[in-house]
Amino acid sequence: MKLPQGFVNRRNFLFEAGQGISGIALASLLNQDNLLGAACGGADAVNSPYRPKPTHFAPRAKRVISLFMSGGVSQMDTFDPKPALEKYAGQPLEGKGDIVVRQGHPGPLMPSPFKFQRYGHGGLPISELFPNVAKHADSLAVIRSLKGRSNDHVMASYELASGSIRMGWPSVGAWVAYGLGSENQNLPAYVVVYDARGGPFGGPSNWSAGYMPAAYQGTIFRSAGDPIFDLKPPKGIAPEQMGARLKMLDELNEMDLKKNPGNSELSARISAYELAFRMQGCAPEAVNVDGESEATKKLYGLDNPITAPFGRQCLIARRLAERGVRFIQMYHGGIGNQNTDTWDAHGNVKDNHTMHAAESDLPIAGLLTDLKARGLFDDTLVIWHSEFGRMPISQRGLGRDHNPGTQSIWMAGAKIQGGQAIGASDDFGYQAEQQVLNVHDFHATLLHLLGMDHTRLTYHYQGRNMRLTDVYGVPIPQIVKS
Amino acid sequence: MRFFGLLLVATLSVFSQDSFTHVVRPVLENRCLKCHGPAMQMGKLDLRSRAAALKGSGKGPALVPGDPEKSPLYRHIAGIEKPTMPMDGTLKAEEIEAFKSWIASGAPWEGTLAGPAAANRANDLKKLEQWTVPAGVREQWTYRQPAKSAVPRNAEAHPIDAFLKASLDKQGLTMAPAASRHTLVRRAYLDLLGLPPTAAQVAEFVDDKSAGAWEKLIDKLLASPHYGERWGRHWMDVARYADSNGYEHDFDRPNAWRYRDYVIQSFNRDTPFNIFLTEQLAGDEMDQTSYDRLIATAFLRNYAKVGFREKDNPQFRYEYLDDMIATLGRGVMGLTVQCARCHNHKFDPIGQADYYRLQSTLWGYVEVDHPLVPEPEAKAYETAMKQNAEQVKPLRDEIKIIEQPYREKLLEAKYRKWPENIQKAVFTPEKDRTPGQVLLANQIIRTTAVTPAEIDRVISVADRSKKDRLEAQVREIEKNKPKPIPVAMGITDGDYRFTPDGAGDEAAPGKGLKREVIEGSYLADGTRPYSVPASHFLYGGDMYAKGSETQPGFVAALDDGNSPTALPRPSGKTSGRRLALAQWLTSPGHPTTARVAINRIWHHHFGRGIVTTLDNFGKTGEPPTHPELLDWLAVEFQDRGWSMKQMHKLMMTSRAYQMSSEFSTDQNLAKDAANLYWWRFKQQRLEAEVLRDQIMASAGTLNAKMFGPAIFPELPQEVLESTDKGIWRKMADGPEVWRRSVYVYRKRGLPLPFFEVFDMPDQNITCGRRNVSTVPTQALTLMNNDWVIKQSARLADRVATEAGADPAARVKLLYQLAVARQPEAAELEKGVAFLRERSLSDLAHVMLNLNEFIYLR
Repeated sequence: MKLPQGFVNRRNFLFEAGQGISGIALASLLNQDNLLGAACGGADAVNSPYRPKPTHFAPRAKRVISLFMSGGVSQMDTFDPKPALEKYAGQPLEGKGDIVVRQGHPGPLMPSPFKFQRYGHGGLPISELFPNVAKHADSLAVIRSLKGRSNDHVMASYELASGSIRMGWPSVGAWVAYGLGSENQNLPAYVVVYDARGGPFGGPSNWSAGYMPAAYQGTIFRSAGDPIFDLKPPKGIAPEQMGARLKMLDELNEMDLKKNPGNSELSARISAYELAFRMQGCAPEAVNVDGESEATKKLYGLDNPITAPFGRQCLIARRLAERGVRFIQMYHGGIGNQNTDTWDAHGNVKDNHTMHAAESDLPIAGLLTDLKARGLFDDTLVIWHSEFGRMPISQRGLGRDHNPGTQSIWMAGAKIQGGQAIGASDDFGYQAEQQVLNVHDFHATLLHLLGMDHTRLTYHYQGRNMRLTDVYGVPIPQIVKS
Repeated sequence: MRFFGLLLVATLSVFSQDSFTHVVRPVLENRCLKCHGPAMQMGKLDLRSRAAALKGSGKGPALVPGDPEKSPLYRHIAGIEKPTMPMDGTLKAEEIEAFKSWIASGAPWEGTLAGPAAANRANDLKKLEQWTVPAGVREQWTYRQPAKSAVPRNAEAHPIDAFLKASLDKQGLTMAPAASRHTLVRRAYLDLLGLPPTAAQVAEFVDDKSAGAWEKLIDKLLASPHYGERWGRHWMDVARYADSNGYEHDFDRPNAWRYRDYVIQSFNRDTPFNIFLTEQLAGDEMDQTSYDRLIATAFLRNYAKVGFREKDNPQFRYEYLDDMIATLGRGVMGLTVQCARCHNHKFDPIGQADYYRLQSTLWGYVEVDHPLVPEPEAKAYETAMKQNAEQVKPLRDEIKIIEQPYREKLLEAKYRKWPENIQKAVFTPEKDRTPGQVLLANQIIRTTAVTPAEIDRVISVADRSKKDRLEAQVREIEKNKPKPIPVAMGITDGDYRFTPDGAGDEAAPGKGLKREVIEGSYLADGTRPYSVPASHFLYGGDMYAKGSETQPGFVAALDDGNSPTALPRPSGKTSGRRLALAQWLTSPGHPTTARVAINRIWHHHFGRGIVTTLDNFGKTGEPPTHPELLDWLAVEFQDRGWSMKQMHKLMMTSRAYQMSSEFSTDQNLAKDAANLYWWRFKQQRLEAEVLRDQIMASAGTLNAKMFGPAIFPELPQEVLESTDKGIWRKMADGPEVWRRSVYVYRKRGLPLPFFEVFDMPDQNITCGRRNVSTVPTQALTLMNNDWVIKQSARLADRVATEAGADPAARVKLLYQLAVARQPEAAELEKGVAFLRERSLSDLAHVMLNLNEFIYLR
């Protein structure tokens, strides 16, 4: 009988079939007094799901910091000025076919309540909402023509996260963790920190591994206290007591392993305890910002109650980046009271965006400054985006409804040429018009910068080599050109 | 120039015209125009027409007819000049060659290119609609009817062993000896019930020295009600069962659990698999229907659903149908039929025509809540509700009249709070408003409401007492509303265009799906024969690119053409298409249904299927390791009346099932490290649900209560905060939630973290085989999770109570409760030594983390 081809290598994941590492390492770890410091950077990767994997070609970025502005940011009020809105203020938007709004009926065109100014050598126009980010104008590549497929928060968020508007598909972070592994085996490869007010629309499915193994899903880090659920034993169990339990466990599992020769799954599980044990020391260290200098804290706005929450997230993002975490997903704006706690400015775009920009502008600028100062900027890809843009017409005179027709996002770092605006929306900012880009193009670009060809990064499922970009996607030329 | 062009065309060779049509044009359209076409002209280059290509970019022409080496178009695709084009990957060598000779022959061109495939669409569509199965398909194993081949003759008496032994001998592999009786009893309990045996249950089997002891044990376990809880759960993975809608609102499905209970009961009753399947596809259409059969139709309705203003989003119906087809294809037929939604299947002989035949078969479906009371009672309920509403209406109208003057005043006050331009729009008389003011006023007026509470604050005493009196009357009448009747979420046939509004479905005034002018009703009442609304072939899967009207049917490669595609129902209320589908799937000649089912049963017993890709028997799946055995079992399964319980017993009485998992020889390892030939029993990591259940069973906390509405284990606050939609009821950590995991609420947007970390599949898509991963977060959960530690403390309490103070007795009982065996001498010694230093809780917690605890062996 012929052996089925590719039986073992195609279907089995490396970490299912361990490499026969024994649990001795755990025993020796348990004997160490101090797990911090050097131990957290180290990497015994053999048995780890996050073992680093080779790229397809030389990468421009080693990691991604994704800043997701939940609720939908208005392009006309941030990075895509539309003087025509002044001229036609109060008139209907005509000649564009049926205007599909999410709530109620279309209103008349509404100019931006915010002033724009040109910044940097590139003369990139940015609204007064982002005076600090604007100082980095020459580092930002603004994309003004990213078109989505849904005007529903959840579906649009899923599309940005996974390329599909449906539930159950692996998120881009999972693809990156699967494709590249991590540089640090003591931390998850894909970390998610969401807003203290709540998670983004659509919840945990946004960082799901879909049909891939659970190892690749995003791990939620809390921005205060123990970052990972179940990282530490509950109160009442001393570390020394847990150490004794683990030592006993290790010894019994070793005895058991001897009875089961050639069973690599069992040795992999022993190694998993070892990794877990190291994570206990390394994860809290990664999110602990106490040791940062006062100047750094101030840079991120930790000294101001308005900027402190997202500032802390941004500072943690930098710390995770330094420690080799591959994909760092930060959410700003969380479901609580949708109209005020996210960028979902149905009611009043001026109030809503003023508030959220004030919370996030300084921290994001601080992050960019800090990455530059520490030499991380050139090999880190920073993305700023949300689930969709908003309407150039008003909702009840002051607000703006959802608009997947176009949104403005920016990318920075990874040696991307800054100070440029890519693509364009129509005169009013209603629809992407020139160089219309879809989410697959965006994802193809992201993977390309990480050294991966989006057509070759595949995962076998349902009889098909699945891709993050399905059968679509072209890397955005102005971003990927070197 | 024009003259030159004509001359050129006249001298064309047939070959180059052909290469333009077949190679150059498709490449230009599909690869180049994205950046150099209608959407954008990167580098100012437009390749839509010959003229534009000749004009080229700012740097000169892109195309020099007759001279490929001077044509930048060729130089860039051939990589002579950088960057190599296209950006998203170089062309194939033969494509580059075709461009070269095409340019060399003068680069003949036809028309202006619009974009991918637009020109050929009509032609394409016709071809796709008329697609037929390629000749010779029936010779491939997947599409051939399974047939029993002779059982190999060798020393093995059991047919399964005889098949396996034949291949083991051929490979020179040695079979493992039998596992110990202690191992076997734990294996059987965890496998069939998902629960570990108690000490008494272990003893009962171990001490039974009679020849039929093993069979007796299997019979006993198959008769246990817990069997359905375990094996029903396997089916729920296929059925993508969940208790909530998913997506943004993740609405609760308050009756979903009835389907879960139906599945458990069906397994316990050993409903023949063909009937089980028929009930789920067409329970409402069967000759004899029943509440259970109506409940069963939830199978098709288990898709994740948007469920909010659905009427504004008619495209979702196609998504739900796609999910049904994917579930039927992968879960029942073992084929990825859903791949053929937008194009013919790339690997398997499945056409888009097959997809739309199946879609047409299902097209009549509508969601319905089947009343679970006799029809007269249901009718009476409906009438009573209607009457009640009618009685209330005049009273409510009267209240409105009283409130009206107050409402108007309050509204005006609200309008006065807006900025000036908005006030102006609202207060300008309708006929004098500018077009922009019309829109603005419309938005404000339609969305400004006054609540009864606001009115009550300003209403006069006299009016207030009038209103109160009327409201009291309303309340009195509403007290007589009938008690809600129990219902099941399911489906039946109807006309989806008339589906009544569900929660949140009321579209804003004037908004909503623009319906064609049609007459009809949601459900057929039987007075006129029901007919299914028309469905259409969709070009490229695009709902706006309709082809011909489709007819019901099946997957042609699996179809011998002998099954009807509709079985008209005497009631005339449904089409009988789904019943025909079920009959076809379960017909004796169907190539895959029985194979897929039996392979799944094998997978759950042995840890790996004979076809490892449980839901893909197509070209991209794995071929069977033992094709003759698979077919033999598939036929045997049908011969035994599709009885799953009989198949369990057949498999478990084989020697293969009873082998040791600890055995190994260097030779076996060298030849077949992956154990593909089944020379030893495969150890299996317990599934998430079994692990949770086993922890409670060991600790003695498990509440064996079956059925009914779901339970909600405690979740950390932060997890609850990650989503605020749908429900997660607060239930204290206690016996009420210490029930089996199959009863845990399945929320699509928020899987229970304990389950998720141990590879529970995504609940939104049918799942064939679960992933088995080993990750640090699993270790963290078992080490540190508060619930696990509390359960381990209860295990310690139990041991202290039952074993007394003697450390050796305690260690022995711990082993018995956790791993269903007595400790070996070394283990006993080690355990006792540990207890001298440490507490019993410490040791109990260690036991729940042992590899042995987490594996079925």
